[in-house]
Amino acid sequence: MSKEDIIRDAIESMHKGNEKLAIEAMERAIAEGLDPVEILADGFSAGIREVGDLFSRGTVFLPQLMMTADVMQKVSALVDKEIASRGLTAEKKGVMVIATVQADVHDIGKGIVASLVKTQGIEVIDLGRDVPVETIIERAEEHKADIIGTSALLTTTLNEQKKLEEMLKSEGLRDKYKTMVGGAPATQRWADRIGADAYAEDAGEAVVKALALLGH
Amino acid sequence: MAVTHESTAGMGGIRSAGDLVFRMELQKMKINEAKKYVAEKLRVSVMDLADCAVMKDLREELNIGTVQSRPDAGVGIQTKFRIAELLGVPINSVDMFKRQAGL
Amino acid sequence: MTKKYLTRYGDNYVGELTEAEIRQDIEDGTLDAADRGQIPAMSQDEMDYLYEIITSPQKIVSVEPGKEVVVSFDAGTLKLPTRNGIPMDRLQAVITQERALASDSTELCHVDYSYKPIKPIISEERQAMEQIQLMTTIPVLYGAMPNLGLYTKPDGPCDNWAELLPAGKITEAMEAQEEAVEHAIKDIVFVASSMIESGADGINLDTVGASGDADVKASLEAVRILSKKYPTTGFEVGMAGEFNLGMHGELTFDGEVLAGMYPHKQVLMAQQAGVGIFGMAVNTNSSQSLAWNLARVVTFAKETAKVATIPVHANVGMGVGGIPLSIIPAADAVSRVDKALVEIAGLDGL
Repeated sequence: MSKEDIIRDAIESMHKGNEKLAIEAMERAIAEGLDPVEILADGFSAGIREVGDLFSRGTVFLPQLMMTADVMQKVSALVDKEIASRGLTAEKKGVMVIATVQADVHDIGKGIVASLVKTQGIEVIDLGRDVPVETIIERAEEHKADIIGTSALLTTTLNEQKKLEEMLKSEGLRDKYKTMVGGAPATQRWADRIGADAYAEDAGEAVVKALALLGH
Repeated sequence: MAVTHESTAGMGGIRSAGDLVFRMELQKMKINEAKKYVAEKLRVSVMDLADCAVMKDLREELNIGTVQSRPDAGVGIQTKFRIAELLGVPINSVDMFKRQAGL
Repeated sequence: MTKKYLTRYGDNYVGELTEAEIRQDIEDGTLDAADRGQIPAMSQDEMDYLYEIITSPQKIVSVEPGKEVVVSFDAGTLKLPTRNGIPMDRLQAVITQERALASDSTELCHVDYSYKPIKPIISEERQAMEQIQLMTTIPVLYGAMPNLGLYTKPDGPCDNWAELLPAGKITEAMEAQEEAVEHAIKDIVFVASSMIESGADGINLDTVGASGDADVKASLEAVRILSKKYPTTGFEVGMAGEFNLGMHGELTFDGEVLAGMYPHKQVLMAQQAGVGIFGMAVNTNSSQSLAWNLARVVTFAKETAKVATIPVHANVGMGVGGIPLSIIPAADAVSRVDKALVEIAGLDGL
């Protein structure tokens, strides 16, 4: 089976949330001496991003998206095991602390972002919802995070993202982290105005932007 | 924002005939059908329904409530008794009032 | 130098765009809606008229005389006394809407704007409705949200599907939603029946679908029961978003899968349930221009109005229907949204 066929199966397995097909595709890639990381990136990661896009259009539903994310994690674990067996260490691309800001309890979107980002080899520390800026910074320090992502659904809570930027600056921590903002009222212009490093419109874009912030 | 909506596209409530047309929409009539129905019942043209000059006179004449509070002017439940009869549709609060008052 | 027009973005801030940019945004917007909904895009004439509306030199535009529509309100008595902080009670708020704001209708509601928490205070709500009905001429509906999230632990009896799903517990998450649907139907029917018994002119189920397709299922089933019980009462259903978010994914109404339905399909389900007025919602994208957002909304709205046999109102509040996502949306944008939705999409109300 060619590399292209394996990548096609990998993408299909993500669309179907089919664990058997996914594992078989990765096992075949390993058996044929292909680079599992490349198959992960070009097949599975690409596939799950497509599924995320379909979700945002109402074509794919949340259980399916979550099932796909679950399959993706199993494939990632298989890749980690293979890399370890070759005497190498699996590359962790970075650590992201993510939270819905204080006074905001809307965390469906943030949860989806966390699930998808996690599938890309980024360790995600999900702090939940209604999280004060002080706690977000404390936990970012504790986990030695690379990225701090915040979500705000309400116009009244959006300002917490600005507060985070200001507090990071006042504590001399701003250069330690890349910051990402999201949520319905957030925009690229808002990110520019408050000095955030990235804005993502949806979960698919969040994955791309997070990877870019980490230099991938 | 309510003011903007009402002034750019709304019928004007009891300044004109917005409340009456709304009652017919609650009966599942689409806007043009609802307007036609109300216009026929009031014996005015469809254009008149959102015209506060025509409707002020007519509402005062029919005693079905206007935005101004004047002596002897119908208000609240009194106006709805007349509206239910005029439009030929039941109004829940009117029926309830009748039951409670033993009418 | 190419002339630029002052317009707005979805976040309410002003931007300057050229004719070509605005026309491109209109085209992109309508094609996006057409693609997502699998519905016809706007015609060239409609796009030209929308361009005229958007670039009108007037600050405020309005519909032509004779084309006025009626306006319904969600969160009715939450607005003046609560959000605006005006010290008035709900009766005063309703009368202010009738006499000062010339509203065609309004809505009595509680600050805890969901059906579930109304149950223990139903007597107070009934008393308020009965008093208001004595004093008012315009139709006064009672409204709240189905808000299925309130049925999850620790606030309610069901497991939290928003936690179960990311944990991969798909079956458990689906079962929890099905359980919540049953609780919500009972609560909506109980509260709505009580308010109808107290003279409400109609019942509004607002922000339907905020908790996903189960939210929609509960609302439609509740309306089906209520519309049979109270055949002369009007039921308004206002949606939360442009498609039913598939939190469950397999729930059906009259054999149709609810998840993923866009407004022109949502309205058919609403009709079948016995809804009197359908409130469609299309999300405003805060990063895009008014032209792009409005072209999308008009495209969805036109098709929805076309297929509906019941009146269709557009939800034109903050962040929906092309209205900028701001608590103080600019009147220039709001008036353009209203004109386009009435004159191009042919909606029955706002």
